[in-house]
Amino acid sequence: MIRAIFRKELLQLRRDPRLIVLIVVMPLVLLLLFGVALKLEPQNVKMAYVDADQSFFSNMIKTGLWTDGYFELYEVDSREAVIEEIRAGRAKAGLYIDASFSAELTENRQPHIQLYVDGTMPSLTTAMKYQSGAATDDDVTADMYFLDADADNVVIAPEPFIMDTEILFNPDEKETWFFLPGVIGVLIMQISLILTGISVVREREKRTLEQLLVTPVSKSAFVIGKLLPYVIIALLDFYFILGVGWAVFDIPQPSSHALLFMLALIFVAAMIALGLLISLVSSTQQQAMFLAIFIIVPSILLSGFIFPIEAIPGMVRPISYAIPFTYFVEIIRGLLVKNTLFADLLVPFTALAGFAGLFVLVSILKFRRTL
Amino acid sequence: MIDADHLSKFFGSHKAVDEVSLHVDSGQIFGLLGPNAAGKTTTIRMLCGIIECDEGQVRINGKPLNRSQADFGYVAQYFGQYEELTVLENLDFYARMYGVTDKARLTDLLERYELMPYRDRFAGNLSGGYKRRLALACALAHDPVVLFLDEPTAGIDPVTRKLLWDDFYRLSTEGKTLFVTTHYMEEAQRCHRLAFLSAGRVVAEGTPDSIRRAMGDARVYAAAVAYEPELHERLLAMPGMMLVNQFGDELRMVVETSVSQQALQDVLGGQSSLTEVEPNLEDVFIALTQQRQAA
Repeated sequence: MIRAIFRKELLQLRRDPRLIVLIVVMPLVLLLLFGVALKLEPQNVKMAYVDADQSFFSNMIKTGLWTDGYFELYEVDSREAVIEEIRAGRAKAGLYIDASFSAELTENRQPHIQLYVDGTMPSLTTAMKYQSGAATDDDVTADMYFLDADADNVVIAPEPFIMDTEILFNPDEKETWFFLPGVIGVLIMQISLILTGISVVREREKRTLEQLLVTPVSKSAFVIGKLLPYVIIALLDFYFILGVGWAVFDIPQPSSHALLFMLALIFVAAMIALGLLISLVSSTQQQAMFLAIFIIVPSILLSGFIFPIEAIPGMVRPISYAIPFTYFVEIIRGLLVKNTLFADLLVPFTALAGFAGLFVLVSILKFRRTL
Repeated sequence: MIDADHLSKFFGSHKAVDEVSLHVDSGQIFGLLGPNAAGKTTTIRMLCGIIECDEGQVRINGKPLNRSQADFGYVAQYFGQYEELTVLENLDFYARMYGVTDKARLTDLLERYELMPYRDRFAGNLSGGYKRRLALACALAHDPVVLFLDEPTAGIDPVTRKLLWDDFYRLSTEGKTLFVTTHYMEEAQRCHRLAFLSAGRVVAEGTPDSIRRAMGDARVYAAAVAYEPELHERLLAMPGMMLVNQFGDELRMVVETSVSQQALQDVLGGQSSLTEVEPNLEDVFIALTQQRQAA
């Protein structure tokens, strides 16, 4: 009897070629993708700098940071601008070199330079702190010792200058501040994709779609009527999860509740619409589930939620930017941890809204008024 | 009321429906008759616009399909209402899909189909007969002029079947046009007009009587003989034999006119008398199907 059931199950599986493709191709694609993409070593981390000194020596420091391809430096106007760049998410690190740097250096007065690192992502913060050691390497400092040939022997400091490191946003490097906002997104993504992922397939499998299609329902009425209830449920769920997060783990309050609501609304709409799209292209509930997982797993790994986007190689990075969740992670960290201004979140907000619009549009186009 | 011109549908390279043209007048009960896989469901689905026809066009109540949805109702072959919703919730849903919010109409329908006592029951828990009634009520919620029914009585007990047919007649006298697919002969008999579909083509069309006569060059004989496999073998081996069919102790044979009564009597032997009888629809049904297959 076991044999008979065993055989029957295998036969049924074999008769669903799309499912087989999903079982074989999905792991292959994901394995290759993650094999290439998942690196713990960030590269080309953007660093905003102000070099008020503009000397040979300050250039040495910048070159030291740049050399290993770890940091990518660009110049801004002021110390405030450095911090603003990090808040806006355009830079993950910053460097400030005072105008008096070389003057103090030549007098062996051990000048300070200021390094800023973004604390939102503790793993990246740790890596940045470690890598910034390149600024104080022997290669850099070798020519920074100034001994007056005529002077008496003096004791000079072992380090010609001192680099102060300040961690901005999440200075305690709390893991929960970094993870939980993203976790909320993961949960909402799962709930949304799976709730709506089966919504149309189920009507197809239970044959209720046939009776629905003879009614005068328009494509947009069908799609929007299907979306709205799930959008509301997922929104309530978003605030429920967030509420628990606030109560149990001390996730910080957002800089703007209105923006947080906007984020929740747009993200939920995008995910629900994507779920509906999955449902429209699947012919069985199993296929829909597989497609949902196929979207969720890379979303978690490539969005900057766990691994910094900076650690994803350039050739795979377009995929990161094609994942709606990437923008959610950026915005929610901006709102909860970094107090980023709306103007600086405009790009990710627009991207997320674009995805939502695109998924709704494709769903409407994809919905056939025929079986 | 229903005008279909040269409908064709391909599934891959197989032509499931082949140039089917049907015209149904207002107030008629029109039966689409045919064996399984003849293309009945495909045809009715094309008429309702649930599947697209590859060729041809459909007009219902004088309007093209995309503007006639409110003019017709459709009951699919399989139960297609929501099992998790109650009877009343289902009916209310379909009514609202057509913009109907008249509570009195829904109550009338519930009463008409004896669903009142079950109105708060989940549709999934209804028996087969009541599911069919609910489906019918849902299809009538917006008071359409045309009703498409795909095998409305398949798997239904004779009592319920009779009740449903009584209702179909009532709907027809109320001015509604009914389009029914079936492979039950006695149901075909009840229709005002019939089209006989075989392998995707209309092979006969007309009133039940005219279709019976459409057998053309065939005669039907009956004899009081109990079932006997060897006898069947011998009869089927006769040239010109179209059909041998046993009904209890009655044996019916459909033969070409070239076969004489005497020749049949010889094969049967002397113990039973052979009489020529009027063809019934079943004879026509099977004979037409076999002719198609032979051709």
